[in-house]
Amino acid sequence: MTDVNSRRNPISRRDVFRYGLGASALAALSPLVQSPSGAATTQQDKLAVARIAHATPKRGGTLKFARSVAPTTLDPANTIIAGDIYTLDKIFEPLYITNASGVLTPWLATGYTTSADNKTLTFSLRPGVKFSDGSPLTPADVVFSINRSRKNAAGPLSFLDGAISSIEASGSSKVVVKLSEPWAPIISDLSVFANAIVPANFGGKSEKEFFAAPIGTGPFLLSSFTPDATSLTLKANPHYWQPGKPYLDSVEFLYVDNDSQRVLQIEGGQVNIVDTVPPAEVASLKSNASVVLEQFPAWEVDLLVFNEKLPQFADRNVRRAITYAINRPALVHAANFGTGEPGGSFFPPSLQYYSASTPVLEYSLSKAKATLAQSKYPKGFATKLLVDSGNQKFVTFAQIIKSQLQPLGIDVTITGLDHSAFESTFQKFDYEMFIDYAINDISDPDEMASFEIDVKDGGSSSYWSNYDNPKAIALVHEAEAEFDTNKRAALYAEIQSIVAEDAPFVALDYPPYIYATSKSVQGFSVNPGGAYRLEDVWLT
Amino acid sequence: MARYIAGRLAAAVLVVFGVSVVTFLFLHLEPGSAARTLLGEHATPRAIAALQREWGLNASLPSQFVRYINGIIHGNLGTSYIYQIPTSRLIGERIGLTAALVGLAALFAVVMTVPLATLAAAKKDQFADHVVRGLSVLGLGFPSFWFGIVLIEIFSVHLHVLPVGGIGSGFGGYLESLLLPAITAAIGIVPILVRSLRVGMIEILDAEFVATARAKGLREIFVLFSIVARNALIPTVTLLGLNIAYLIGSTVIVEQVFDLNGLGSLLLSSILNRDFPVVQAVTIVLGTSVVLINLVTDLLAARLDPRIRLR
Repeated sequence: MTDVNSRRNPISRRDVFRYGLGASALAALSPLVQSPSGAATTQQDKLAVARIAHATPKRGGTLKFARSVAPTTLDPANTIIAGDIYTLDKIFEPLYITNASGVLTPWLATGYTTSADNKTLTFSLRPGVKFSDGSPLTPADVVFSINRSRKNAAGPLSFLDGAISSIEASGSSKVVVKLSEPWAPIISDLSVFANAIVPANFGGKSEKEFFAAPIGTGPFLLSSFTPDATSLTLKANPHYWQPGKPYLDSVEFLYVDNDSQRVLQIEGGQVNIVDTVPPAEVASLKSNASVVLEQFPAWEVDLLVFNEKLPQFADRNVRRAITYAINRPALVHAANFGTGEPGGSFFPPSLQYYSASTPVLEYSLSKAKATLAQSKYPKGFATKLLVDSGNQKFVTFAQIIKSQLQPLGIDVTITGLDHSAFESTFQKFDYEMFIDYAINDISDPDEMASFEIDVKDGGSSSYWSNYDNPKAIALVHEAEAEFDTNKRAALYAEIQSIVAEDAPFVALDYPPYIYATSKSVQGFSVNPGGAYRLEDVWLT
Repeated sequence: MARYIAGRLAAAVLVVFGVSVVTFLFLHLEPGSAARTLLGEHATPRAIAALQREWGLNASLPSQFVRYINGIIHGNLGTSYIYQIPTSRLIGERIGLTAALVGLAALFAVVMTVPLATLAAAKKDQFADHVVRGLSVLGLGFPSFWFGIVLIEIFSVHLHVLPVGGIGSGFGGYLESLLLPAITAAIGIVPILVRSLRVGMIEILDAEFVATARAKGLREIFVLFSIVARNALIPTVTLLGLNIAYLIGSTVIVEQVFDLNGLGSLLLSSILNRDFPVVQAVTIVLGTSVVLINLVTDLLAARLDPRIRLR
């Protein structure tokens, strides 16, 4: 169970860790650090270049950041919700981070060496790193933090450290991590915020005292925070290890859960950055000269899921026919207002090992009709589509899908439920089709593959579809045990191909993260996992 | 008088009890659980069941209800599942904002209503009257959140004179932040008030004592504001009292539009989170205040008009 002292406001929580990371408890022998594939990287790099092209950063100022999520606790080992994560990651830092292009980057560690049996990793700590109270970072702090995280039975992500059998300090600047088995995604796992470093024994304070006035190595430190209040202020850490950073004096996070309020606040110049801009507002914000609209690729896919426990959706031809019948470019155009990309593979293009050559069942009404004719339901049938009625984009998706399935004789009734009821309904398999989004949290794609395909051990009965293809599952396990980058890419390409042909779900689109900033904000970027670092941000 | 108040208070208890029964039943009929929200996506069925047990949600509905009513009788409104603090503290922190919003909105409603109704009544069936009546029909037709967004666009986004939303610091900032929300909430009831007060004033304008006043040679403006408006005040107070309930209800929407953290937004977020103790407590507080305001209104009307006898 999670920390009972945390106060959460989950209306606004983004389901950051939607996937069953438990799936990665299987031995995965992937290469350690890889660059993500093609398209998205290029897009990100262009963005980065555009950002760097700006003049010398200016110091000072307060960044006002209105977010749809609220922090409730700052303890990295005891939370999983977005409002907490994207606040505490400014205060505490892990050994590695995922940068804006989705690549693992040494952070509090400068690197590591691996033993011949791949079971012992020796990390070198970055010299000169200090906590915000001026005390130096030591191996003891790392040992304490990671032990605390991995041994915390209540920790929502403690299983990520499941492969670690021990962690010890070595000398004054090294940490030795021993694994119970060769475990390639260990760097990805260690980069998760739950493994961020706090001072050993909380610097002598009690846990409660410590998190009320936390001390970390991050660019900012806590200035004021009441868990059920609507704003939180951070101020610059004078001892930050990156020389000259952060540029900002302080950051004020405001909790504004109403979409139109956030948009109006950025238009009215009341704040500098807003998150989660509704796609419908993108066009009007783009035409606003005082606002900059930013879109960042995400490890995220919107899915139409079929309940294969029902005979009509256990019929592969029915699923294929529906996939053919859904015009995804039209969907993106109508519901996303031009943001995001039409869906194809169940891996998003920003994810490592995404295969652009996946044989996607592209929109074709004639193929849809021909395929349905081969099914056990050639004349169609009546069915229900479940959506989260609070999600306007998905409601629009549902309406378009309903009209696009009409020519097949498939008569869709849309059922809307509020978020809480929606989730508990589809997770009980009390549905026929539903629309939801799936995200990958860490840089390794094994998570998405296991969660959506491995019906037994993946943690979600193949995203509550009950899709079961033994060949695909075997390939997922094979990819987990594969070190060679090229071979692993080939395995994931084959998996994506099988899933595209079987059509257990329709990848509707790949939505981006949409932010709006005032013209004065420079150096802001978001990584594909949804995290943003603020030490590079400055105000003109 | 004391007997009258006691009787009304007893009735109020029954009303609030009825409201809480209905709230309780509706809440527990809906699927969804705060346990899932609190535990996140990795919640195991066992963890959810454990939390449900801790909260007593595994008991039968009647026994949960008995425990809930028992808590209320002992003045215990329970602890929020989501925030893990007593609901009374949560409500205490937020009730001030909503009370200020409702109070200011009621004030604005009166300030807008009296001149408009007076104008319409004085110029009955003339151009000004048609304009006022037309505007109130229009006002009834538009939802108040739409007015709110229009006001934000004009005063905050374009003119930059008032904040877009949220609550400012200091008394000035606080008042400044409440200005647009209060006007928005007031606009929701002004049309109804204007139409009723206009009718009331027209009746009084035809009354014999007004004719007498005029015959004595008093100036028309004095007649209107001192004699007519004073007499029309009683029905307005009664009407305002009745509409306070509507005003309190509208804070749920107005607080959303203006990003204010009062009881209205707390109620909405708690419903969506299935934070039952908070929903029930807020409903009781809002229900009680509506009943009390109605009582005060009746007492005030009796005080203003000696013809009204309270039994």
